[in-house]
Amino acid sequence: MRILIVEDDPDLARQLKAALADQGYAIDHAPDGEEAHFLGETEPYDAIVLDLGLPKIDGVTVLERWRRQGVATPVLILTARGAWSEKVAGFDAGADDYLTKPFHTEELLARLRALLRRSAGHAAPSLVCGALRLDPRAARAAVNGEPLRLTSLEYRLLHYLMMHQGRVISRTELVEHLYDQDFDRDSNTIEVFVGRLRKKIGPDRIETVRGLGYRLVALEGEAAQT
Amino acid sequence: MTAARRHPPSLVRRLVIIHAVLSLAVLALGAVALSAYFRSEATSRFDDRLAQDLLNLVAGSSVDSDQDVDAPALTDERALRVYSGKYWEIGVAGGPSRLANASRSRSLWDAPDLALPPGGTAALAKSPGKPIFYDGMGPVKQPLRIAAEEVLLPGLAQPVIFLDAEDRSAIDHDIRTFETATGLSLVGLLAMLIVGVMLQVRVGLRPLFALRREVAAVRTGKTDRVGGDYPAELEPLASELNALVAHNQEVVERQRTHVGNLAHALKTPLSVMSAEAEARPGALAELVRRQADLMREQVDHHLRRARAAVRPQGGGERTAVAPVLEELSLTLERIFRDKPVEIDWRAPDDLYFLGERQDLQELAGNVMENACKWSRGRVRAEAATAGPGRLRVTIEDDGPGLAPANREEVLRRGARLDESAPGSGFGLSIVDELARAYGGGVALADSAMGGLKVQIELPSADA
Repeated sequence: MRILIVEDDPDLARQLKAALADQGYAIDHAPDGEEAHFLGETEPYDAIVLDLGLPKIDGVTVLERWRRQGVATPVLILTARGAWSEKVAGFDAGADDYLTKPFHTEELLARLRALLRRSAGHAAPSLVCGALRLDPRAARAAVNGEPLRLTSLEYRLLHYLMMHQGRVISRTELVEHLYDQDFDRDSNTIEVFVGRLRKKIGPDRIETVRGLGYRLVALEGEAAQT
Repeated sequence: MTAARRHPPSLVRRLVIIHAVLSLAVLALGAVALSAYFRSEATSRFDDRLAQDLLNLVAGSSVDSDQDVDAPALTDERALRVYSGKYWEIGVAGGPSRLANASRSRSLWDAPDLALPPGGTAALAKSPGKPIFYDGMGPVKQPLRIAAEEVLLPGLAQPVIFLDAEDRSAIDHDIRTFETATGLSLVGLLAMLIVGVMLQVRVGLRPLFALRREVAAVRTGKTDRVGGDYPAELEPLASELNALVAHNQEVVERQRTHVGNLAHALKTPLSVMSAEAEARPGALAELVRRQADLMREQVDHHLRRARAAVRPQGGGERTAVAPVLEELSLTLERIFRDKPVEIDWRAPDDLYFLGERQDLQELAGNVMENACKWSRGRVRAEAATAGPGRLRVTIEDDGPGLAPANREEVLRRGARLDESAPGSGFGLSIVDELARAYGGGVALADSAMGGLKVQIELPSADA
């Protein structure tokens, strides 16, 4: 397991290197954003621990560049910046986890292990419907290769629709699938989620069949994304 | 009226009063000048006629062989009627203020002689052949206009004085009528001018009122700057206001950055210290670790307090609620991916928080994170309006909940309910503090889902 540590504080970097090396990981260290970007882009790391306040290029920018260039390595952000606006921005840029300083070393190790375990999951067949593609392993979906930002309820609804694409699914069936408890089953729940999904994947992919339910369809003339 | 006494008069009132006073002065002056002009014109026309009569009188007079002046046989018919208002008198100077050997029009009857001009016969002697006009009093208190002239008649060495008088009450009446009409029409004009200026001021100051509304909109967060086209006089004020708003925001931003930098600067050394302590077990390490944790808490606490304290002056911003809940849901579902937690968020698209985005993120983020931490996998976050100018964010989980006895403690400043829970304490006291800074608050209750229900009440902005 090879891990890149991006940290500009020399003491903290030394400690991180020592702690991770103790666990048997191979460690590279980049003290600034430029070097970090170069290493992350060229070397096949299993995970990256990224500080945000970096010299030259800041951490969020580095992360955004990696993701734009298709670097899918799991990234754990390690930063003193703990405000929610900063966490949201970090995840938005493509982070997989976020740990705020000061932290306990055991917690960092535990998070890193979880990150590595997740990324090592087995490939499952993707679901495809026209330009819509859903990857059950990573729990991600994309339209025309453009990743969708879905909450897990939205994801679950899309997953169910894709598994039964072309078939009309009743509201009751969808509600029962989305929620396992009665108190959530108010009548307009499904409309809300279908509305949000339509906003994200395009309004015509989910047809309303009056009185019966919904149906997911591929758009006409659309090549399947493989 | 007490309000009017405390504040300087309004601009509208000020302008109207100034205009009214000025108009009144100008119109009064105009009225005086007009009536003076009319009076002098009317008098001068009257005098011309009088001079004509005097001339006829002189021309019709002759000197007989006895060196007496004979008055014309027939002059004006009115001069024959007693007290008709038309009189004449012919004589020679018999002293400084009386005539001698005077012949009088029949109309004078038994009345005393007509008055001589001021200065008497001497004044007439100074300008022979030129009539002098003056006012006098006639019989039965008739106001008279009198023309007097000293003339040398052929055949008589002594100059003869002719007086011709006519009742002037007709022109006095004309003058009074004219003055009344002028006065009335000028009062009417004044009223129209005042109404006009009121309209003018209201219309003219309309951009000022528009500016006031825009400033109010900035303050309540409907817009972030004063826009719109303003007249040249207001444009600088509008841009100054915008600069002030921008400056305010900049100051808030700078404060926040400073505090953030301080926290950032402290946290990395703290990490190093506690990591070093963890690596070398012992009593000292334990002490360092405990103290480092304490320091971290202090830094976090004061960082948040500073952020909350900056708030009220920041003002003016508004934040859509739905995107914030969505982002936080996406982020938290990733943070708690291994649990996993499903967050069901609901918010109308047109619901706006009157405050900064970062603060709403902080408020909802802390409560939602807390809910995720304690939940068994399901969390609800719902935002809705709660009366005029208020909104409520309700966050529920299906965790173990919180006994009513502990709720008070949880909201108390800096309290930590579960020292062993991962992450930094309960976070609800911080939320409460921030919500209070916004004039809102936090309430805790039981959720139908089984766990805790946290309701944050906040100010909302109009859509």
